[in-house]
Amino acid sequence: MARILEKQRVILRFDDTVFTSATGGVAESDEVSLSVCGGDLVLIRLARLEQTAAFADACAGIIEPTSGAVNFLGRNWSELPPDQANALRGRIGRVFKTGNWINHLSLMENILLPQRHHTRRSTRQLCDEAGYLAQQFGLPGVPLGLPGDLTAADLQRAACVRAFMGRHSLILLEEPTTGIFLEIISALMNAVREARERGAAVIWLTRKHLIWNDQTLPATQRYQLAAGKLMEVTT
Amino acid sequence: MNTEQVIPSEANDTLDTVPKLRRLLASIGRRTIGLWQWPVEFISDAAAVIWQSCRPITWRRSIRTEFMRQCYQVGAQALPFILVSGIFVGFGIVAQSLHWLKVFGSTALFGGFMSAVLVREIAPVLVGLIVIGRSGSTLLVELGTMKTRGQVHMLDAQGIDPFLYLVVPRVLAFCVCMFSLTTVFVAVALLAGFLSGTLVGITQFGFFDFLNRALGSIGRATYVLFTLKTVVIGFVVALISCKMALSLSGVSARVLDIMPRGFAKSALATLIISIALTILF
Repeated sequence: MARILEKQRVILRFDDTVFTSATGGVAESDEVSLSVCGGDLVLIRLARLEQTAAFADACAGIIEPTSGAVNFLGRNWSELPPDQANALRGRIGRVFKTGNWINHLSLMENILLPQRHHTRRSTRQLCDEAGYLAQQFGLPGVPLGLPGDLTAADLQRAACVRAFMGRHSLILLEEPTTGIFLEIISALMNAVREARERGAAVIWLTRKHLIWNDQTLPATQRYQLAAGKLMEVTT
Repeated sequence: MNTEQVIPSEANDTLDTVPKLRRLLASIGRRTIGLWQWPVEFISDAAAVIWQSCRPITWRRSIRTEFMRQCYQVGAQALPFILVSGIFVGFGIVAQSLHWLKVFGSTALFGGFMSAVLVREIAPVLVGLIVIGRSGSTLLVELGTMKTRGQVHMLDAQGIDPFLYLVVPRVLAFCVCMFSLTTVFVAVALLAGFLSGTLVGITQFGFFDFLNRALGSIGRATYVLFTLKTVVIGFVVALISCKMALSLSGVSARVLDIMPRGFAKSALATLIISIALTILF
């Protein structure tokens, strides 16, 4: 833990940010102020499924705020040219809640795709790392079949493998334990710890009481998005 | 005392006229923008594809792999179909033209006739239509499904520009494969035509003489036209399919609904390009 605390540079910062989203024709605004440092594990509870993806998109600079700024590694997403923004997004690992996999690519290709796009690491190195992580998350190896051939549980494990591949600065977890909480939680906590020790920040987005009330989760900060405002919850 | 001001009827009419005029102007503006939006966007996308394909940084491993995959799907997998089509067309066109040229005693014109009909006109359009039906519709469904299921958004969130990863390699692969497939088609059609002519007994010259007559009459302009037609048709067909698929929005958008429109637009574009380039050269 001492190693974690040493690395305290700010990875992600929301400066009095307001996001407006239209849900069912009604415009809603969410005020967010948040600072996430390297080594942090931030647990955020959201009310609805679409809020999970929208919040993760806001962290990755996909959604522009109505006011305020979102800074990732000291740079404002809104001011970055597309090439630089994409390069920075390559430093974010993410477990997606929806739209996880490209159907015509094998799962192996899906997992390696972001790393093959953003880094110069050899395919051998990437396969080795993917194989190691796959075993950690309870898969016999990196699945070679198409996403449609695998069960939902195995796809969830593979999603975790992809999120933790490489040396990301930020890892966004959208309900990473869906359907396989007991099977995956210890492997996930190990992967989170290793990532935090490397200096990465982890944001865990959830709607579930089970996760939110689990006091064994070593979250450094807990927030709740309620009544249009992100509020810190102290335990 | 009544403080309400009564607006004179003339002024009232003027107030009525202003919104009507605005509505009329807005309607004209909307229609004009609607008319020009698609072509202008298409031209800008085409320029972006050319620009991006010239940048070395575009050609990362992931993009190269996607380009090769598309070449395999659009080119190699379509090869058997092109071979069979080439044989049938060769039997029909070459044998018929040889027959009728012999009837009119003009077999010396065979080379020029073949160059004009098969290489310049029929092959690029026919192969274009085959590519539209086989690969263009596949591309439309593939990208449309990706768009509606949030996979394009997922790529974006991972820092992989969907335009670079999905559009650029597909458009370039269509260009390369259109040229290659049309070349194969012409070769097979000529060979099949010669064989059919020999079998029926209407070919009076040997194989090399036949080749010499057919290929010898193809001038530089025809080579340029052939290359331009195939590459431009491949480019436009792929870009139309990509644009239509990626313009789908909402989970409920039905990919199959845009297939007939995609096919019609691509087929029409193929014919227009063919005629326009023939007129130019």
